[in-house]
Amino acid sequence: MFAKLKKKIAEEAATAPRSGGRIPRSISKESITSVGADSGDDFASDGSSSRDDLSSQVLRRNGQIRKLEARLSDYAEQLRLLQKTKDKLEIALEKHQDSSMRKLQDQNESYQANRAKMAEGMALALEKKDQEWLEKMSVLEQEKSALSARLAEMTEQSLSLFQKRDDLDELEGFQQQELAKVKHMLIRREEQLGQRERELQQQTGELQVARRRLAEAQDKLGQLEDERQESSRLYAELQAERQELLGIREEAEEKITELEGRGQELQSVIQQVSEAFQKSQGTVAGLENSLHSLEADHEALRLQHEQHRQKVLVAEEEKERLVSDLQEKVSSLDRRLQGNLTEDEHLEELLKEKCALEQKVEEARAELLETRTSQTEVVSSLEAQMSRLNSKVAELQALLRQKEESWTSDRERTEAQISALEQQLQESSERLSSSEQQVAERDAQIQKLQAEWSIERERLQQQGLERTGCLEAQVTALETARDLDRATTQHRISELEQEGEALRESRCEVDSALKTQTEALEQARADLGSRQTVSVEIAKALEETRRQREELQQQVGEMTSTLKVREEEMAKVTQQLGQREAELVTLQEELRTAQTEAEGLRRQAEEREVEKDSQLALLREEIVTQTDQLDSCQSRVSDLEVEVETLTEQLHAPEDCGEEQNGAVTVEDLAHMHKMNKELEQQLSEKNKTIKQLQQRLAELKRTLQKELKLKPDQESEGREKPPEGRVEKPEGPERPFPEALPQGVSTATVTNNSDLNDSREINFEYLKHVVLKFMSSREAEAYHLIKAVSVLLNFTREEEEMLRETLDYKMSWFGSKPSPKGIVRPSISGAPSHWS
Amino acid sequence: MGGFFSNIFNGLFGTREMRILILGLDGAGKTTILYRLQVGEVVTTIPTIGFNVETVTYKNLKFQVWDLGGQTSIRPYWRCYYSNTDAVIYVVDSSDRDRMGISKSELVAMLEEEELKKAILVVFANKQDMEQAMTPTEVANSLGLPALKDRKWQIFKTSATKGTGLDDAMEWLVEALKSRQ
Repeated sequence: MFAKLKKKIAEEAATAPRSGGRIPRSISKESITSVGADSGDDFASDGSSSRDDLSSQVLRRNGQIRKLEARLSDYAEQLRLLQKTKDKLEIALEKHQDSSMRKLQDQNESYQANRAKMAEGMALALEKKDQEWLEKMSVLEQEKSALSARLAEMTEQSLSLFQKRDDLDELEGFQQQELAKVKHMLIRREEQLGQRERELQQQTGELQVARRRLAEAQDKLGQLEDERQESSRLYAELQAERQELLGIREEAEEKITELEGRGQELQSVIQQVSEAFQKSQGTVAGLENSLHSLEADHEALRLQHEQHRQKVLVAEEEKERLVSDLQEKVSSLDRRLQGNLTEDEHLEELLKEKCALEQKVEEARAELLETRTSQTEVVSSLEAQMSRLNSKVAELQALLRQKEESWTSDRERTEAQISALEQQLQESSERLSSSEQQVAERDAQIQKLQAEWSIERERLQQQGLERTGCLEAQVTALETARDLDRATTQHRISELEQEGEALRESRCEVDSALKTQTEALEQARADLGSRQTVSVEIAKALEETRRQREELQQQVGEMTSTLKVREEEMAKVTQQLGQREAELVTLQEELRTAQTEAEGLRRQAEEREVEKDSQLALLREEIVTQTDQLDSCQSRVSDLEVEVETLTEQLHAPEDCGEEQNGAVTVEDLAHMHKMNKELEQQLSEKNKTIKQLQQRLAELKRTLQKELKLKPDQESEGREKPPEGRVEKPEGPERPFPEALPQGVSTATVTNNSDLNDSREINFEYLKHVVLKFMSSREAEAYHLIKAVSVLLNFTREEEEMLRETLDYKMSWFGSKPSPKGIVRPSISGAPSHWS
Repeated sequence: MGGFFSNIFNGLFGTREMRILILGLDGAGKTTILYRLQVGEVVTTIPTIGFNVETVTYKNLKFQVWDLGGQTSIRPYWRCYYSNTDAVIYVVDSSDRDRMGISKSELVAMLEEEELKKAILVVFANKQDMEQAMTPTEVANSLGLPALKDRKWQIFKTSATKGTGLDDAMEWLVEALKSRQ
C-alpha cells in the first residue's frame, strides 16, 4: 500500500511539472527555430544585397534584439512565477506527506490491532483445522505408505520387467550375433572344407600325376633297363666279337708268326741249303783237299811205311836184342828162382829162360814178318782206297752239280712261296687292321653306350632319389598314420582280446548249450522220423490238390466260354456308342450356343466398356459369371473330351472282337463312326481355340477395367484432399509442411499447390527413399519418431498415420490387444500452429 | 500406449534415452559432429540426404542423436522430428558470414515451434579452426540469441575436425538435462 501511494505521488509529481513545462518549452523551441530560420532566411536572402542596406539591417537586428530582450524578461518573469508555484507545491507536498504519513501510521496501528484479533481467531480455527488435517494426513499417510509400497512393488516389478526385457533383447541380440557368428563360422568352415576338398582333389590329382609319372619313370626305367640289357647284350656280343676278333687277330698273328717261322724255317732251310751247298762246296774242297792230303798222306804213308819198315826193322832188331836180353833175363830169373835150390838148377833155369827168350825172339821175328806182310797189304788196301776215293770224288763232283741245280730250283720255289706268303701276310695284316678299326669303333660305341648308360643311370638314380624322397615323406606320413592306426588297432586288439575272452566265455557257454542242443537234435531226429510220415501224408494231399487244379482248369474253360458271351455283349455296347455320339452332337450344339452366348456377352462387355463409369460393378459381376460359365463350359468340354476319348477307346476295343462276330456290316459302321469321331474332335479343338481366344480377350478386358478402377479412386482421393483445406478448425492440412516451410523463398514455396507438391515429391524422392528405408530397418523406438516424417512424405491421412502409430505401439508394448482401425487421438498430432516466416 | 508406458518407466528409472536433434544449414558440420561424438573420429562425409541417427552414451546418459540433413529442399522436414525432443544442437558455420541471416531465420522458425518449447538449445559455433571464423559472441549476436526468452541456451565454440569444444558443450548439455529433470 505504501509503495502504491508513493508511486502515485511520484506520478503526480512527474505529470504536474511536465504538463506545465512542456508547452512553453516546445513553444520556445519552435519560436527559436522559427526565428533562427527566419533570420537565416533573411540573411540568406539579403546576403547578396549591397552595403547600403547594412545600416537598415543593423537597425532591424537591434529591433530584433530588443524584442528578444523583452521576451527574455517575460521568460524571467515566467520563471519566477514557476519557482514560486514550485515552492508552493513543495510546501503542499510536504504537508501532504506529513498528513499521509500520519494517516498511514493510524491505518497501520488499526491494521495491526485487526490483525492481532484476526490472528487469534485464525489460530483457533487453524488449530481445529489442523487437528482435522492431521487426522486426514494420518489417513492419507497410511494410504500413501500403502500406495508407496505398492508403487515400490510395481517399480520393482517394472524394473525386473525392464531388466528382463533388456536382458531378453540383449540375449536376442547375442543370440543373433552368435547365430551369425556360427553361420559365418559354418560358412567359413564349409569354405575351408571345400578348399580342403579341392586341395585334396588337387593333391590326389597331383598324386595321380606323380604316380603316373612314377609309372612312366618306371616304364622308362624298364625301357632303359631293357636298353641297358640290350646294350649290355650288344656289349657282350661286341666283346665276344672283339674277343673273336682278338682271337682272329691272335690267330692271324699266330699265322704270321707261323708264316714268319715258316719264312725263317725257309730261310734257315735256304741257309741250310746254302750252308749245305757251302758245306758241300767245302766238302768238295775238303774232299779235294783230303784227296790232296790223302795223296799226300798216301805219299806220307808210303814214306811212313818205309820209315815204318825201317823202324820195324830197327824195332825187330831191337826186339830181337830185347828177346835175347829177355831170354837171358828169363834164364837168369829162372836161376834166381831156383837159386834156393841149387846153383845148377839156377843155371839150368837161366838156360831155360834163355831158351824161352830165344823162342820169343823167334816169335817176334815171326810177328815182324807178319807185320811186314800186313803192311804191304795195308798199303795195297790204301792204294785201293785211293783209287776208290778218286772215284768217289768224281761221283761227288757229279753230285755237287746235281745239287747246285736242285738248289737253284729250290731257291726259286722258296722265293715264290715267300712272296705268296708275304702277300698273305699283308692281306692278313690289312684284315687285322680293319678288324682292329672295327674293334676300336666297337670300343668307342661301347664307351659311348657306357657313358649314356651311366648318365641315364645317374639321372634315374637322381629321379629315383627324388621319388624316394617324396615316397619317403609319404612313407613317413603313412607311417605316422600307420602308427596312429596301429595305436587304434592295438586299442582295438585289446578290445578284441577282451571280446575274445568274452567270446571264450560265451563259447564255453555255447559248448554247454551245444551239448544241450545235440541232445535236442537227437530228439529232433526222433521228431523228424515222425515228420517224414507226415510229409508222406502231405504228398498225398498234394496229389489231391492236383486233381483239384485239373478241375479248376476245366472251370477256366467254362469261363472262356462265358467270355465269348461277354464279347457278344460288347457288340451291343457298340450300338450304344452310336447313341452316345448322338448325344455328343447335341452337346456340341450346346457348346455352340454357349459360344454364341459368350460372343453375346463379349458384345455386351464391349457395350459396357463404353458405359463403364456407370456400370463398372455390373460388368465385373457379369465377367465373373462369364468366366464361371466359361469355366463350366471348359469343364464340360474337357468332360466331353474325356468321354469321347473313353468312347473311342471303347470303340477301338470292341472293334477287334466285333469284326469277328458281327461281320462286314459293323465294319462299315465303324469306319463311319471313326470319321464322325475325327470330325467331332476337330470341331472340339477349334472350339477350344476359340475359347482360349475368348479368355485372352476377357483378360484384356479385365486389365482395362482394373486400370480404370485404379484411376477412379485417384480422382476421388484428389477430390477428397481438397476439403481439408476448407476446414477451419484444422489449420494444418496435409500439404502444408513443405511449401510454407521454405523460409528463404528459394523455391516457389508459398503457394500451396498439388503440382508443387509433386515437384517437391520428385525432388525429395531420395529423401523419401532414405526415410522409408530407415523406418523399415530401424528399431521401434526410432521408427516411432519417423512415423510423422513418413506420413508427411507419403501424404498419409490422419487416420492412416494414427493406424501406423497404433500398430507400432502394439508392437512395442507387451500387453494390450491389436488396435482397431480407429484409436485414441494423440495430442501431439493435432500439432502446433505453424509460424514459419 | 507402449510408448507412453515406456516413457513413464524411463522417467522413473532414469534410463530414458535423451532425444537430441542436430540441426543447422547444409555444410555446417552436423554429421561430422555426430560421428565425432559417437566414435570420436573424424569421418569423411557426403551431404546428408535424409538423416543419421546414432545412440551416444555420455556420462551414463544415453542420447538418441538425430542428425537431420540441412539442405534447403529437405529443411522443411525438420519439423517432422520435433516431437519429444529434449535438446537441439544448432550447428553454425562460423566462417560463413553470408548465410548467417538464413541460419538465424531457420533458428527462429524452429524455436517458435510448440513442440520444441521445452527443448534446451545448444549452439555450436563450428569451424573455429578457420581463419575468418566469427567469435562465439559475434555468432550469438548475429543469431539474435540474447533476445531469446523462456529458453535455456548456451553457445560454444567448436571445431569438429579438431575435436575442440565438443566435450565442454556436451558436459554443459548433460548438466542442463540433469537439472531439468
